[in-house]
Amino acid sequence: MSELTSGVLVFLEIKNREISRISWEAMAAAHTLAEGHGLSVDVALVSSPGNPIFETIHGKAPRTVYAIDHPLLHEYTADGFAAAYAQLIEQVNPSYVVFPHTYQVRDFAPCLATRFKQVLISDVTGIETHAGAETAPPTFIRQLLQGKLNAHYRHRGTGPCFLSIQAGAFRADAAEAGATTLATFEPRLDAAKIRTKPGEPFRASAQTVDLGSASILVSVGRGIKEEANLPIVQELATALGAELAASRPICDSGWLPMERQVGSSGQTVAPKVYLAIGISGAIQHLVGMKGSQCIVAINKDENAPIFEVADYGIVGDLFDVVPALTAAVLKAKG
Amino acid sequence: MKIIVAIKQVPERDARIRIDAEGTWIDLQDVEFTLNESDAYALEEALQLKEEHGGEVVVLSAGPERVGKTIREALAKGADRAIHVESDDLAAYDALGVARLLAAAVKDEQADLILTGLQSDDLGLGQTGVILAELLGLPHASLILKIEAAEGGVKVLRELEDGWFQHVELPTPAVLTIQSGNSKLRYATLMGIKKAKTKEVRRVTPLELAAEPEASVVVLERVLLPNKQRTTQILGGSPAEAAAALVEKLRFEVRAL
Amino acid sequence: MVPVDVIPSRLLCMSLAGAGVLSEPGHFSWLEKLLLLLLIVLSGTLFWKRFGVVVGKILGARRDAGFRLFPIGKRVWDFFWEVLCQAKVIRERPLPGLAHAFVFWSFLAFALVTLNHVAVGFGIGFLDAAGAFGRVYFWIAGLFALACAVSIAGLFVRRFVVRPVWLARPALPGHEVSYESGIIAGLIFVLMATYLAAFFVGEASMAARLLWWSHTLALLVFLPLVPHTKHLHLILSPVTIFLSRGGFSEIPALDGDEDFGLVTGKDLTQLVALQAFSCVECGRCTEHCPAANTGKSLNPKEIVLGVRSYLNEFGPTAEELLLGKYNAQESAFQCTTCGACEFQCPVGIEHLPIIVGLRRGAVNTGAWEDSHGTKLFLAMERNSNALGLSAMEREKFVQKAELPIFDGTQEYCLWLGCMGGYDPKGREIIRSFVEVMQYLGTSYGVMRKEKCTGDPARRLGNDLVFQELAESNLEAMQQQKVKKIISICPHCVRTIQEDWKAFGAPPEVEHHSEFLARHQARLPQQKTDEKIAYHDPCYLGRYRDVYDEPRAVISAAGTLVEAERNRERSFCCGAGGGLAFLGEETGQRVSHVRAQELVATGATTIGAACPFCNTMFRDALAATGEGAPQLLDIAQIAARSLPSAVTVARIQ
Repeated sequence: MSELTSGVLVFLEIKNREISRISWEAMAAAHTLAEGHGLSVDVALVSSPGNPIFETIHGKAPRTVYAIDHPLLHEYTADGFAAAYAQLIEQVNPSYVVFPHTYQVRDFAPCLATRFKQVLISDVTGIETHAGAETAPPTFIRQLLQGKLNAHYRHRGTGPCFLSIQAGAFRADAAEAGATTLATFEPRLDAAKIRTKPGEPFRASAQTVDLGSASILVSVGRGIKEEANLPIVQELATALGAELAASRPICDSGWLPMERQVGSSGQTVAPKVYLAIGISGAIQHLVGMKGSQCIVAINKDENAPIFEVADYGIVGDLFDVVPALTAAVLKAKG
Repeated sequence: MKIIVAIKQVPERDARIRIDAEGTWIDLQDVEFTLNESDAYALEEALQLKEEHGGEVVVLSAGPERVGKTIREALAKGADRAIHVESDDLAAYDALGVARLLAAAVKDEQADLILTGLQSDDLGLGQTGVILAELLGLPHASLILKIEAAEGGVKVLRELEDGWFQHVELPTPAVLTIQSGNSKLRYATLMGIKKAKTKEVRRVTPLELAAEPEASVVVLERVLLPNKQRTTQILGGSPAEAAAALVEKLRFEVRAL
Repeated sequence: MVPVDVIPSRLLCMSLAGAGVLSEPGHFSWLEKLLLLLLIVLSGTLFWKRFGVVVGKILGARRDAGFRLFPIGKRVWDFFWEVLCQAKVIRERPLPGLAHAFVFWSFLAFALVTLNHVAVGFGIGFLDAAGAFGRVYFWIAGLFALACAVSIAGLFVRRFVVRPVWLARPALPGHEVSYESGIIAGLIFVLMATYLAAFFVGEASMAARLLWWSHTLALLVFLPLVPHTKHLHLILSPVTIFLSRGGFSEIPALDGDEDFGLVTGKDLTQLVALQAFSCVECGRCTEHCPAANTGKSLNPKEIVLGVRSYLNEFGPTAEELLLGKYNAQESAFQCTTCGACEFQCPVGIEHLPIIVGLRRGAVNTGAWEDSHGTKLFLAMERNSNALGLSAMEREKFVQKAELPIFDGTQEYCLWLGCMGGYDPKGREIIRSFVEVMQYLGTSYGVMRKEKCTGDPARRLGNDLVFQELAESNLEAMQQQKVKKIISICPHCVRTIQEDWKAFGAPPEVEHHSEFLARHQARLPQQKTDEKIAYHDPCYLGRYRDVYDEPRAVISAAGTLVEAERNRERSFCCGAGGGLAFLGEETGQRVSHVRAQELVATGATTIGAACPFCNTMFRDALAATGEGAPQLLDIAQIAARSLPSAVTVARIQ
C-alpha cells in the first residue's frame, strides 16, 4: 500500500470488550499531530473484522481501520504483538506510531521500536507542533523526576517515530462524520516464535485488608468523636470505592481493626487519593501517608498541620462536609 | 541460577531541582544519588532467588565514577560481583544506546535471568529492560511482582491494570522488569559493606565494548520546571459547594473518579 | 538493725572494762590440726574448682580494645563510694540496702577475726583476746556481728516471707525464690552467732571448742558456695565496679573489620564476661525496666544471666549465636535504652553496652528482620532522617519560620533535629525557643542541611548508618565552623556529644534547658500557681545528669509537682532506643503508663523537655480523654512569659 501518503498510525487497545478510554485519548493526540503536519490518521486494532466493536470507533474519522487478525493474537504476548505490529508498520510505513501508554504497551512497544532502530517516546503528556512541519519536527513533552520536571523531546532522523500517550493528557474528540475504510490485516506468525506462555488474568482475592493496594483511601481520625459516627465515613468510602483507614487513636480505641491503621506504627500507604477526615496530622500519621499522590484534608481546625501537606482542603465540620461529599460523589457517578 | 541485575543510580527523590546552565538537565551540584527504587526491588528479587536456588548475582550499572558507590551498596546487600560500564557522558546515548552498552557488557555472561527495575525515577522511560531483551534476542516480561523457578524456565506474576494479575511462563534465559513494592527490601549492613570491599567490580568503557554511539534518534532538548507547585487549595463555600468543588477536582484534575 | 554510732557509749565503756572477752578453745590436738588442714584443703579445692573456671572464662574472653585504666582517680572514687560506702546499694533501696551494707561491713571487720580464728586452730593465733587491742577489736567486730545477724535475718525474712517479685527468675520455672540464698543467709547467721556466743562461754571450755568448730565449719562450707552461687559477687563486683568503662551507656567502638558487635561468644569481651559473672540477681534493673514493667519479654536481669549461662555452657570462644538459646532477639529489641537498669545496678554491670551490643550483632549482620526497623534504616539511608521525609519539608519550615542560616558568625548553631525540623509540635517548640533567644538577643542560625544525628541507628545497633550520618554531619559542621550547638532534643545532644566522638571531635553542645536555666534571671518573671508536673527525659537525666535546670524553668512559671517516679528514677516515655519508629508494643504501652503517672499528680500542665517524650505523651494523653492536662515543652513554658511578639520586635 505504498501508494498511501505517510501518516500517523494509532494502535488502539481493547479492555473489557470495549476500546479503552485511553485509546480514544491516544487517537485525539494522533489527530493533533496529524493536523499540525498535514498527515492522515490510520488506526489498528487486534480483532477479527466481524467484531461489532469496529462500529464503536468514533471521534474524528480515521482514514483506514486495520483489523489485525490472527489466532495467535487471541491472548496477549509481547512476541506475538510485536511481530504482528511490526509487519503492519512495515506495510503502512507511517511517520508516527502512536500508542496509549498502558501496561500492555509498556510491555512490547520498546521492543517493537528497537526493531526499527527507534526509541519509544513514552508517557507523552503534550505535543507541540511548529509551523513548517518539514523543517521543524514536533516537540514531545513528558515528565521527569516524578513530575518535578518537564522535558522537551524531539525525534531525529528517518524512520517512524514511536510515541505512547499518558492517560488523561488529551481529551477524546467528539464524534465527527467521515469516510473510513475497514481493512483486514493478517500477519504471518509462527507459534514457535512466541516464547512466553501467559496464564488467565485473575483478580487478587480480597481476603485481608490491603491498604497498600487501594487506589483511594478514606482515613478517619479523632474528629469523628464516637464509634457510632463511623458509618458516615464508611458511606463515603463505599461511594468512592475506597478502603477505610484510620489514625492510631481510632484503632487504639478498637473502633477499627489495627490493620487499618496508617502511620509510623501501622501501614505506610501511597494511594492515588488520600482523604484525611478529622485527622490533625501528627508526624506519626504523616509519615505513613506522605507518599500519596493527592491528599485531601477535611478538618474544622484551619491550623491543623494536615493542611500543610494537603493538595485540597475543606475547613469545616466533618459531620456536615462528609455527607455532602458522599452525595456529590454519588451524583457524579450517576 | 546466574542472575544479572541492571541497576541505575538516580538523584535522590527529595533532591533540590535546579536547571543547569545548558537547560538540558538538572544541576547536579549538591545532589545526592541513590539506587533507583524499582531496581532495588529487582536486586531484592535476585538475592531471594539466589538464597533459594543458589547461584550468582551480578550487578550491572552504567554511569560515571560516582555510580561506584551504588554498586558497592548492591554488593553489600549480597550481590557477588559487578560490572561497571564507566562513562561520563551517558546523556549522549538514548535508551537504545544505553541498552546497547548494557547488552554488550553482558552478552558473554551466559546468565539465566536478567532483572531490572520497571523504570527509572529520573527519566522514567521504562524501556531499558525490554530493549535489552530485544537486543539479546531473549524473551521478556514486564511489571513482574514475583518469580518462581519452573520447568525449563521461570513462572512469574505479572501485574495488569486495575488490580488484575496474571502468571506468565517463560523459558530462560529471559529478561524481567520488576515492579516496586512487592517484596521487603533489606537494609545495608556493616558486614555486607566490609565483604563488598573484596568483591570484584569489572570496569569497562563504552569504547572497550566496541559500542560506538550511533546517533541518538530521540533527543532531550531542554527541561523546564513545571508552573504548578504543590500548594494547598482550600475549597470554600457551604459544605455542599465545597463537596461539589472537590468532586470536580477529583474527576478532572486528579482523574481518580 | 542498730547502727554502730547509736550504741550508747556507756555500753561500750562497760565492754572495755572487761565485761566479756572472746573465748578461745585453747590447745588443739594434732588430730584436730590435721582435720582442720584437710577441711581447708577440701574447701579451697571446691572453691577453686568453680572459681578457677570462672576466672578462666573471663580471662579467655576477648580483650576490651578501648579499655584504659587511667585516669584512675574516678575508679578509686567509685570504688570507695559504691563498694566501701555501699552508697548505691543504700540509696536505691534504703532499708534492705542498709542491711546489706552491714553484712558487707561486717565481712570487712571480720577479715582479721577470721584470719586469727583459723590461726588459732593451728596454735598460732596472733590476736590476744584479752589484750587491749584484741578486746577492742573483738568487741567492735562483735557489734558488727550483731548488726550483721539482725540484718541477715531481716533479709531472709524479706526474701522468703515478703518475696519481692523482682528477686525471682521468671526465665527459670521453680526459681521463684533463690533457696541457695537461704542457705547462705543461714551460714552467715551461724558465723555471727557462733562468734557472738563465744563472748559468753568460758575460756578453753568445751563450749568454746564447739563454737570454734561450728564457726570453722560454717566458714569452710561458705567458701566453696561463693563461686557456685550468685554470691560470687562478693569477690567479683568490687573488681567490676573498679574496672567499669567509665561513661554511662558507653558503647565501645568496634574493634577492627571482624567486629560487628555481640554476635557469638567470641565477641564477648572480658568486661562483659566479668559483669555477667558479677550479677547478684537482685533484680533492681528489672524492677525499674519500662519494658519488663509493661508486660514485654525483655528482662534486663535475664539478659545478663543469659550471657552468664551462655558462658557457662559454650564459653567465650564459641561460635554459637548469643541471640539463641539464652537470649531472645525479640527481647533485645524491646529496650528503650532508658538506662534505668544500668543506673540502678549495684555491682557495676553496664547493661546498655550489652543490649546495644546484641542489637549491633543482629543488625550489622542482617539477622534482625523487622519491617518497621528496615523501613527506618532505609529512610535513614535514603533520606538521612528517621521519618523518611523529604529534606525539602525542613527547608520549607526554615523559610516559613524565617530561621537564619548559620554562617559562622552567630554564637549558636540551633540544631533542629528530626522533630524540630519536621514534626508540627516539634516545630512549635523550636518557634518558642527561638522567641526566647531573640528576646535575649542571642545570635543563632540553623544548618542549611541537617542529617539525623544517627541516634535511632546507634541505639538499634546499625553502625553503618550511624557512622555515615555522624561523619557527614561532623564534616558539615567543620566546614561551617560550628563551635556551639544548642538543641531541644536530649537524644541529639547525647549522640552529638558522646557517640560522635568515635569519628571526630564534635562541637560543644547543650540542651535548651541548660540555656534557659542559665538565662532565667533575664527573662520576665510571671509566676502563676499553675501546677506543672515535670517529666525527666532519660537522655537528659540519667544520660546527662541534668535534673535541676528544667525544674528551675518550670518553678519560675508555676508550681512544680513531682511524679511518683522522678529524677534518677524517672520512668521512660517509651520512645528511646529507636522504639519510637518501630511497630506496636506488646503488653501495655510504656507511654500510657507514664502518662497516667503524670496525670495522677493532679497537675494541669505537663512539662516535657524532649520532643520524643512530648510526642509519646501527646498520643497517650489523647487516649485519657477529656480533661487531660496540657502538654508543653519547657521552651514553650518559658516563652509564655515573654511580651507579645510585636513588643519583641520593637525592643530589637
